[in-house]
Amino acid sequence: MIDADYILNSLTKTFPNDLSESKIESDMRLTSYVEKDAIFNVCKHMLDNLECNHLSCECGVDYPDRNELEVVYHIASYEHPVVITLKVKLPRDDPEIESIVSIYWNANWYERETYELYGIMYKNHPDLKPLLLIDEMLGDWPLRKDYEGFPNKTSKNLV
Amino acid sequence: MGEVIENVSFTTTSAISDFLKKTPAQDIINWGRKNSLWFLTQPMGCCGVEMISTGCSHYDTDRFGIIPRDSPRQADVIVISGYVTKKYLPALKRVWDQMPSPKWIICMGDCSISGGPFYESYSTVQNIDEIFPVDVFIPGCPPRPEALIQGFIELQKKIMAKKDLGTDY
Repeated sequence: MIDADYILNSLTKTFPNDLSESKIESDMRLTSYVEKDAIFNVCKHMLDNLECNHLSCECGVDYPDRNELEVVYHIASYEHPVVITLKVKLPRDDPEIESIVSIYWNANWYERETYELYGIMYKNHPDLKPLLLIDEMLGDWPLRKDYEGFPNKTSKNLV
Repeated sequence: MGEVIENVSFTTTSAISDFLKKTPAQDIINWGRKNSLWFLTQPMGCCGVEMISTGCSHYDTDRFGIIPRDSPRQADVIVISGYVTKKYLPALKRVWDQMPSPKWIICMGDCSISGGPFYESYSTVQNIDEIFPVDVFIPGCPPRPEALIQGFIELQKKIMAKKDLGTDY
């Protein structure tokens, strides 16, 4: 039976230096920070050896206080009831990370959307272009917290 | 054969149409137009669900001559039934250009009127009425099918009164 404990043991055995702040919340949930150079190999290991064959989502988080961006991966499995949350910290000035499209095909659109909204560059992505925004807005990164495209007008100023 | 006829001025369909607009015949034409407002099934949000249910048999919009159509080439009315994102605006303009004249446009729901909950979002377009000649605004979030039918009837009244923006008078 593969559970969160088993997966954490396997990951720490294979990547002893790349995981940090690992936390097992229950049999089904595991959270861990991964070094950004190792995330490609970690995902490959999870798919090949641990039967984690379902990438639920991949998204970004902005932490302007720490001057960091985070990429969050939720990886689940059709074979056993486990959801693993992997987080990668990236510097805010130059966020660049290896694409995992060659491992999980459905990461393609997730990475394109994270790219256009947060400006996280994905290396070796097959077709990195905006998904939902127009091309002219590329470079605005609207979901970063210091985005100034929202005018200071809300409904309370209109009433 | 080959005899040249002089002093004949040729006419065109648009010249005939412009002439008819000044005559009472236009009232009869408008009466026909207002009773065949076929609208384009082009749902853009949750208002689109109300728009589709309006076209279903329960509300029986056939009695007003309002029939849903799937092709812009066969439609008279387009209903903007949701927020217009910057990405979608070129496609919407293209659909509008594909429709043959005379054509009318209805804004349905708060999103298309002012933006609604997406007011001045980074990805939506404001002030649709500056881009398209909108005849009727139907407020609501989303409006009931009865409200949409009411909007169509207001449009019919505008067409009969020759006040609509879809035709140049």
